[in-house]
Amino acid sequence: MVGIVLVSHSALLAEGTAELAGQIGGGTVTIATAGGTDDGRIGTSIDKVAAAIRRADAGSGVLILPDMGSSVLTVRTLLADDPDDLPAQLEVADAPFVEGTVAAVVTAAAGGSLKDVLNAAQEARHARKL
Amino acid sequence: MPESCEATVTLTGDLHARPAGALSVAAGRYPCAVQLSVNGTLADAKSVLAVMQLGASNGQQVTVRAVGPDAQDAVAALVAVLSAVTSAAD
Repeated sequence: MVGIVLVSHSALLAEGTAELAGQIGGGTVTIATAGGTDDGRIGTSIDKVAAAIRRADAGSGVLILPDMGSSVLTVRTLLADDPDDLPAQLEVADAPFVEGTVAAVVTAAAGGSLKDVLNAAQEARHARKL
Repeated sequence: MPESCEATVTLTGDLHARPAGALSVAAGRYPCAVQLSVNGTLADAKSVLAVMQLGASNGQQVTVRAVGPDAQDAVAALVAVLSAVTSAAD
């Protein structure tokens, strides 16, 4: 099953989004969070992102969802360094954080491929609320 | 002619986030296309956001239509999920 990594400036936001998506998706998907700085402030941590990717990896690929701004930069910096210990199949979603995560987790729970899960997250850009 | 199948369920609860998730997880396991119809509004059953946006509520009729491989099994699985929706679920 594809694993999910949530990268947020806020640990609470990442954990809350993981909790919500886990409930909607039935709880079978591994959702690892990388929220806040190493000392617990608002911000991002490249070490937390790397650790979350390793936790989420079950061999079928990992989709990373950054919330915005420097979360995206932190993920890109990590992937550009291309550390040896990260899984080979990694994608970054250009998607709204909450809706994209929910859509990705549901598709992963149904057994979708990394490409399917990425597409589901990115299609959430078009989902209307009203 | 591709395999196709259709069934209609009257909801016994609202189709909130959790049952919508269960529905889309079930639909996503099948290779066929699966569409829901509520009051003339259509949604891809595999898209949890589209299913939630239907806002289907207790007493409304939901029609499930599948076209493609395993259409009958897909409709049976989704009818089972829809029939299990209760007013206690959220």
